[in-house]
Amino acid sequence: MELHGKGYWAMHYLLLAAFVVFALFPLFWLLKVSITPNDLLYSEGVRLWPSRASAAHYASVIAHSQFPLFFRNSVIVATTTALFSTLFAAAAGYGFSRFQFRAKYWIVGLMLITQMFPLVMIIAPIFRLLKPLGLTNSLTGLVVVYTAFNVPFASFLMQSFFDAIPKDLEEAAMLDGANRFAAFRRIIVPLTLPGLAATVGFVFTAAWSELLFALMLNSSSAASTFPVGLLAFVSKFSVDFGQMMAAGVLALLPVCLFFVFIQRYLVQGLTAGAVKG
Amino acid sequence: MSAASQPIRGANWRGLSWRRVLLASEPYLYTLPAVLLICVVMLVPLLIGLSYAFHDVSLLNPSGGEFIGLEHFRELNADPAFWNALRNTVTWTVASVTLQFGFGLVLALLLNRLFPGRALIQLLVFLPWAIPSFLSGLNWAWLFNPVVGPLPYWLKALGVLADADNLLSHPRHALWGPIIANVWWGIPFFAITLLAALQSIPADIYEAAAIDGAGPWVRFRRITLPFLAPTMAITILLRTVWIANFADLIVIMTKGGPADSTQILASYIFTQAFQRLDFGYASAVATVLLALLLAYAMVLMLLRAALARRN
Amino acid sequence: MSAQTLKIAACPRIAAGLLIAACLLAAAPGHADTTLKLVEVLTSPERTETLQSLVNAFEKQNPGTHVEITSLAWSSAFEKFATMVSAGDTPDVVEMPDRWLSLYAKNGNLENLEPYLAQWSETKGLNDRALEIARAVDKTAYLLPYGLYLRALFYNKTLFKQAGIAAPPKTMEEFRDDAKKIAALPGKSGYCLRGGPGGLNAWIMFGAAMAGNNIFFRPDGSSTLNDPGWIKGTAWTVTLYKDGLAPRDSVNWGFNEIVAGFYSGTCAMVDQDTDALIAIAERMKPDQFGVAPMPKGPSGKAYPTVGYVGWSIFKSSLHKDLDWKLIKALDDPAGNLIWNKRVGALPIYKAAEQAPFYSSDQLKGWFQELADPDEVPTLMPTNLPGFAYFADSLVVRTGQQALLGQISPEDMNKQWAVYLTKAKQKQLSGK
Repeated sequence: MELHGKGYWAMHYLLLAAFVVFALFPLFWLLKVSITPNDLLYSEGVRLWPSRASAAHYASVIAHSQFPLFFRNSVIVATTTALFSTLFAAAAGYGFSRFQFRAKYWIVGLMLITQMFPLVMIIAPIFRLLKPLGLTNSLTGLVVVYTAFNVPFASFLMQSFFDAIPKDLEEAAMLDGANRFAAFRRIIVPLTLPGLAATVGFVFTAAWSELLFALMLNSSSAASTFPVGLLAFVSKFSVDFGQMMAAGVLALLPVCLFFVFIQRYLVQGLTAGAVKG
Repeated sequence: MSAASQPIRGANWRGLSWRRVLLASEPYLYTLPAVLLICVVMLVPLLIGLSYAFHDVSLLNPSGGEFIGLEHFRELNADPAFWNALRNTVTWTVASVTLQFGFGLVLALLLNRLFPGRALIQLLVFLPWAIPSFLSGLNWAWLFNPVVGPLPYWLKALGVLADADNLLSHPRHALWGPIIANVWWGIPFFAITLLAALQSIPADIYEAAAIDGAGPWVRFRRITLPFLAPTMAITILLRTVWIANFADLIVIMTKGGPADSTQILASYIFTQAFQRLDFGYASAVATVLLALLLAYAMVLMLLRAALARRN
Repeated sequence: MSAQTLKIAACPRIAAGLLIAACLLAAAPGHADTTLKLVEVLTSPERTETLQSLVNAFEKQNPGTHVEITSLAWSSAFEKFATMVSAGDTPDVVEMPDRWLSLYAKNGNLENLEPYLAQWSETKGLNDRALEIARAVDKTAYLLPYGLYLRALFYNKTLFKQAGIAAPPKTMEEFRDDAKKIAALPGKSGYCLRGGPGGLNAWIMFGAAMAGNNIFFRPDGSSTLNDPGWIKGTAWTVTLYKDGLAPRDSVNWGFNEIVAGFYSGTCAMVDQDTDALIAIAERMKPDQFGVAPMPKGPSGKAYPTVGYVGWSIFKSSLHKDLDWKLIKALDDPAGNLIWNKRVGALPIYKAAEQAPFYSSDQLKGWFQELADPDEVPTLMPTNLPGFAYFADSLVVRTGQQALLGQISPEDMNKQWAVYLTKAKQKQLSGK
């Protein structure tokens, strides 16, 4: 059924175009700087496109720096974090959504508090905690810390998605003889695929672009992720903008791929109604 | 063995209480992995970090400080830089969250319709979130710098700036630079989460309402908003908390200047910790921020509970 | 012989062989591989490469020793290193900048190098300034400097020619006039003022040049920055900005912005250290820029600031003698020359100044400065506790307030003097 007229669609596309331009313009600038040769970087700064484009920065990032290693590390850390965070968060979010229990408010409070304290103050204690466990200078340590930091947000997010699904669904399934966990797995989870996809997407990108812990907990380049690699372009005397922007553009590719992958789940389509009688 | 359909046999006393224990502990089992991880990795360091606020702690010897009670708090009460940072934090947070949420909601509504090219557009508008904050800060600083960026000239052409200078050097308006960068970066967060929530609203409800004669605004108010309410509440809460603590863009774009006009509590904490080397004082400021955010969270939760009760 | 006899006859030999092998295996770790942890903080890919090659040579000379280099990104090096040290993750040898020395030395982290210096043959070849610097904290050598960074004035030859200026300014009066001529050119400015973080050196240089001295403290520990001469100097800088001789945005300019301004030809003059030369030379052609000594004040003197970086040994190291050997390899006349060529610092050895590398056209500017008795290299009081806060926070904030006209230069100098006096007196009494 057509709910809207032609005028609506024109407005719709216009607004969308505005958003896309706003989102893409800084990225375009990133791209533009990445193909500007060093000598033109400052003299032609304001132009929309350099007079002489060059792929030299990309070549040096790919061939002469350690970026391939950093990307690999980032992919490992980000996907592992996304996986574990979503698992823990789906479970915890379901627990918050479906049950009323005494400790609930304490747990929610605990999760909230961990998000409210500036990370800069707890870096040193976390370092001291992880060092004897051998988790500093390691990707595993990063995954552990990232998961711990992302689980609260992911849990709350999942909770809100579960809240939108009425309890009668599982109750019906449990009356039919399934236990709660099976009902959860077989009925509820498929209905919250968009929510799961959104959560996975967010945790992945959060872990992908996190800098503070990656910088402070890991020192060797074997365990460095790509944001740390970007920081290395900022030396005492120059910010190597060309290479840094090139690395930034390259880093968008894995994120794009990942997002394309979860996109199918994110948008289930309007016809897949949640509660059909 | 199906739990509910078997009659409860009084003879197996131990089996009965085991099942009850299992049922009672169900919520804990679901939440256990998350809670355990957080407690071990974050709670202990958090408590240690909080304890610094009550000790005279220097940067290099965090465990060697003597207990000085509320001394730091008295100090910060009298510190004009602290109050300045607090004011800026409020401006920063309110402006960022409102703009991000507003634009994010509009974008989510726009994406909630099926149209050709939707998948691509969704990907494109998500990209800003994928840029690390420090690269985004450098990029925007570059854009605002008249030597190498176009924005000052455009802002002048639009009449926003009197002259093509760097917005980031105006003491009164510098904070808007990081705010704009933050809004650019944060719109995808709201857009995607709200979109996912919107996706779970069944289409037939809208159709039924339209048949009943409800116009688009009424449909939005009566159907969309209530469905979105839980997601809205949590995203706004979390995003506010994060933004209040988020100093990266400010540190990179203006370093708190000029003349502390863009200094927020989070960047002030960083300055105190690593420049004045006074970890204790920095922790005290962080504790105050924590208390304020907790109060805010509680208010929001109470508000949400009240609204839920009304509906 | 039967198989059995063979077996029996072979047994003792096999046993002996196994025993010898076991001894060798047990003995090999005995020549144990010692690993030294070396942390560099002023990291760039080229420096790391040079450092690695010096380290490789050291490893060849000292078999069984392995040096693990950790490179910290400079922009976050201070925070990261402090976090590592506070958590007990200490290195053996670390690259120690002047601004950090007092913190770690006073905290008892650094090894006293005097006994090593006393026994070293090259110590007498060090120039006096190097030794003075090494002993900056408690008159004890906690680091061995590898180079000095002296401020000089970089100027844009193209812009100067355009404005009709024949030579770089020799005095502050000329500096102001030249800046004015260049600011008259459309879209250009005279001076790349660093109003943001890191601008302290320029305030001090112009302040001292106006005051005619570079004495920071009187014997009783009170700061001289409140004196009329110094106030005149800071007021002079503020007037430069107010008169539009520096770009309007420069009130918040940090390092990136001043060099962006310089490279793009937006502002014609910038004060920087020797090591900036490498970066500038990569981005501008030799006929586009030049280096001149800092302009002199009314007293006929100028006070370019001098910074330094060196190598320190951590007290917690278990291999101090080996650490000293490593430092010697990095910092003896041969190593020092290689290293300084890469990092662009001025050498610490008296003899090195004759090396052909240092007579290049650009470096000439610095040697001119060093040779001129009226250019007095000035050490900043970086060994003062709380200096980091002064330089990175107080000066930035009050400096910007003064440039924007929110406070007067007198007010600003007074705040500086009050803070420094307190810090100095604390230092004097705390000793």
